[in-house]
This record gives sequence, structure tokens and C-alpha cells, in this order.
Amino acid sequence: MITSLTNAPAGPHAKELAQRAANRRNAKVGRTVMVKVQRCDGPGKASRWETFKVTTERGMNVISALQQIAGNPVTTDGKKTTPVVWNSGCLEEVCGACTMVINGKVRQSCSCLLDDYAPNEGDTITLEPMSKFPIIRDLWVDRERLFHNLRRVKAWVPIDGTYNLGPGPREHPKDQEIRYKMSECMSCGCCLEACPQFNLEADESKWDTSFIGAHAINQARLFNMHATGKELAMERLDALMGPGGVSDCGNAQNCVKVCPKSIPLTESIAAMGRAVTLASFTKFFRS
Amino acid sequence: MTQTDSKTGFLDRNYFLLRRLHSLTGIMPIGVFLISHLLTNASIVWGRFDSREAAYGHAGAAVFQKEVNFIHSLPFLLLIEIFGLWLPIAFHAALGVVYAMSGKPNNQRYAYQDNWRYTLQRISGYVGIAFIFYHLATLRWGWTFLIPGGTQWSAEFAGSTLAQVMQGGPDGVTFKGLVVALFYFVGVSLLVFHFANGLWTSAITWGLTISAKAQKRWGVACLGVGASLMALAWAAIFGFMVLDVKSAKDAEAKILKGPLPVLEKAADAGGSSDLARTAK
Repeated sequence: MITSLTNAPAGPHAKELAQRAANRRNAKVGRTVMVKVQRCDGPGKASRWETFKVTTERGMNVISALQQIAGNPVTTDGKKTTPVVWNSGCLEEVCGACTMVINGKVRQSCSCLLDDYAPNEGDTITLEPMSKFPIIRDLWVDRERLFHNLRRVKAWVPIDGTYNLGPGPREHPKDQEIRYKMSECMSCGCCLEACPQFNLEADESKWDTSFIGAHAINQARLFNMHATGKELAMERLDALMGPGGVSDCGNAQNCVKVCPKSIPLTESIAAMGRAVTLASFTKFFRS
Repeated sequence: MTQTDSKTGFLDRNYFLLRRLHSLTGIMPIGVFLISHLLTNASIVWGRFDSREAAYGHAGAAVFQKEVNFIHSLPFLLLIEIFGLWLPIAFHAALGVVYAMSGKPNNQRYAYQDNWRYTLQRISGYVGIAFIFYHLATLRWGWTFLIPGGTQWSAEFAGSTLAQVMQGGPDGVTFKGLVVALFYFVGVSLLVFHFANGLWTSAITWGLTISAKAQKRWGVACLGVGASLMALAWAAIFGFMVLDVKSAKDAEAKILKGPLPVLEKAADAGGSSDLARTAK
């Protein structure tokens, strides 16, 4: 499964990835890159654009560019401003916290190299916060709805209790293999940002009935395949059958293309489509 | 929770059922009807190759007329229309608009082919509603003021009157006729796309195609269905645009008058007797 960086990339982004690899080879250290940032002083405040000059260092990513800007927050117009606010955690593309919209497409900023995106002197790289979540400040958004939607499908294994339940049922290695890929989800929000059916919802009372998103549908499948997680299978399917459930998917299939972990989200959506189809028959004829 | 329960409307309480009925009606009856309707319309072209109808002078117009006569011979036709077509289409359209309005297309940023089809599915739905309404209003409900030339479509002179509708009058193609024909071309093409793409997405909705490979395979099949229907649709529009109204009318008049003596002789000689049957 490990793809060497020197091999020609495959998949829906093959051309883009090849271009970036070429950019990386040609980029020179110490060039000046314009970092254009969409800024916002707080929830409900208007957004504005500010551009900063960054002198590149070897292997510089968007986060280290933002750190350089924070050290001297002066725009290209010479205006002194506040440091740009962003969120980040692991800095190795496994936590999802630093997700933002870079050059119009959503991705993690920690794994985004300036050499890939702005290889020439004077090139511009554009940073925007994700648009599907409320802005806290600048590039930092509140992804609470994403986690709320995981709770809608009870994306966990029910083992909490007052005594030791002992070892769980044995798992088949084949199932484990399928589940492993799905379990790589880091709740970053890329699939939601790119989804035309998932949109900003400021009214929290509507969160339970608006589209749940590919990440939650995938997690419902993951835990419904788990031998112990199965206990809550019907409750998860109930959530997916209701308003904002799996039927709200419009099959634009952007989610699977922007997923940084290449999780087969559209397969999970189809699998849960089948599960709710069967569940509806069961409900109609048996219960 | 109880507060929201009492507040939830009919749509929310029957959410899953309505969603699946929306998907189902798109295929059956609407999609199945679309296939048969396009096959019938295209008979103005494929009928030309039916040598048994050559005696009518215009085999295409004759075959098309007989197809129309067959449909009009169905029992309880109005009930079939209302419950088999108009209500399912209205249901599919109304819910479709509600569902379509819940999305915000983002094709500039994510210009993937699948994403374009997502957006085009919604556009084709909107245009399709307008087109079907115009189509029904002018040809079924007789709103002739919406037709350039004001032709009244007649079931007895099906091909010739339809050609006049699409050509803009009895004397060949006019500019206004071209506009109508263009609307038909766009409307029908978008509806064929809507059906083929809907056939593809419905397999995901119902969970028939799960793996990406299966989705791709079924996509090729749907492309085949779509291309075939598109060919039928375009053939029909072309067929009626170039139809000679006068010779079509002659053929239809012969069918209306009853069996042709010549043809009866041919039928006695062991040929097909369906001519005599259909022509009453």
C-alpha cells in the first residue's frame, strides 16, 4: 500500500500530484512567496484579505510560513497587523486540526509544502478558512458540528460499564482489513468542506436534521462492522434513515476525492444505503 | 426531543419512505415511460424502413399513427395518465425541487466530472419540469396559444400535426418553429441525461453498487442506456423537423378511412393482417 514518492502518482489527482512533484524539484530556497490570507477578527465579523511576504526555507510548509508571518505581521502594503490565527496539532497529517482551504481546495496545511504550491519567485499561495464551519478567528474554525454528527450515529463501541466484560468476540482478519482503512479517518472535515450537500448551519437546533456528512456515514459503517460495535447497529441505521441521513447524499462524490486518507467514502455511503434498504424491509415485514 | 417530535412535519416523519419513493418513481413509472415514449416517437424514423407500411405512401407517418392508435386504444387511458404519469411526475418533481434546494453546487472549486453531473442532475430537473409542463400543456391539454402557428395536435393526424407544431406551421420550418424544436432538443436531451444519471445514482442510493469498480461498471451500462435513448430522442426530433406534412397527412387519412383494398389483398395473400385490425 505504500506508494513511493518517486513513482508516478495514480488516482484522481495524478496530474496535480505530478505537477507538484515537479514544482518541488525546481523550487529554490530563499525565494519570496506571497501568502494571501482571508482574515476574520471573530465570529460574525466581516472577512478581509491580507497578503504577506514570506522568504522560503528548505521544506517549508504552510504552518512554518504562518509562523514566519507571526514573527513580523506586516502586510505587503507595509501595514502592521495582528498575527494570523490558525489551529494545528500533530503537524504530520493525522489530527485534522490544521485543515483549511488552500488555493481553493480543502486540505491539511501541515502537509502542504510551499515548494509544491508556489515554486517560483513571487508566486502566491491563498489560504482561507473552511467555509462549512463557523469561524472562530482567521483560519481557525469550530468543527463541533462534525463531532456532533459522529454522536448522531453513535460512532463508538459500547463497552462502558461497572464491571469487566472480558475479551470481546474474535474479529475476522478480512473484516479488520476493510475496517482498517475506514478507521484512518481523522475527523478533519475535508469531505464536508467539499460536499455540496453539507453547508454551513449556524442554527444548532438544525444540526440533528441537516446532512450528517460522509465522515459520519463511514464511521457508522465502521462500527456496524465491528463485532461489539454491532450492538448499536439498528440505532445507527435509524439515524441514517432520518432527515439528514444517508439519503441526503447527492452523489457528487467530491468527498472521496478530497479525503487525505483515501478512505473509500462513496463505498461506505453505498454500503449504508444497502444497509438502510434492508433495514427498512426488516422493519416493514418483521417489526 | 418531544418538542421537536411534535414540530416535525409530514416530510420529516416519512423521510426515508419519501426519499425512496422519489428514487423509485424516477425509474418506475417515469423512466420506463420515457423509454417507451422515445421508442414511439422515433418510429417516425424507424417506421420508414417498415416495407409493410409502404402502401400508405409514408411508412414512417403510418407506423407512428398506428403506435398512437394503439396507445389511444388502451382502456382507462385517462386514469393511466393521471395515476401512472402525471401524479408520479408531479411527486418526483416537487420533492426533487425540495431536495435540490438543499444543496449548494461548488463546481468552480471542485471541477470533478462526478460533481458536474451532480449539478447537471439538478439543472436538468428544473429545465425538465418546465419542458414537461410545456409539452403536456401544448400537446395534451390543448394550450395552442403557446404554439407558434397555433396548431392543434390531433390523435388521428398524429405525425402531421406534430410536425406542424415543431416546424412552426404547415408550410415548412419557420424561425419560431426552430425555437420550439430547439427547446425540445434541449429539454429532451436533459431529461435523457437526468434519467441515465439517475439510474446510476439510484444504484448507490439503494445499495446495489457498492464498490467503486461496481459503480464504474454500472456507470458504463447507464452511459449505454443514455446514449441509446439520446439517439432515439434526437432521431425523433430530426424526423418530425424534416417530415413532409402533406404526405404524412395523406397516410394518416388512409388509416382513418379504414383498410386499404390493396392491402387487404396483400393480407389475404398471407401478409400481416394487423393493418386491417388497427385501421378499424
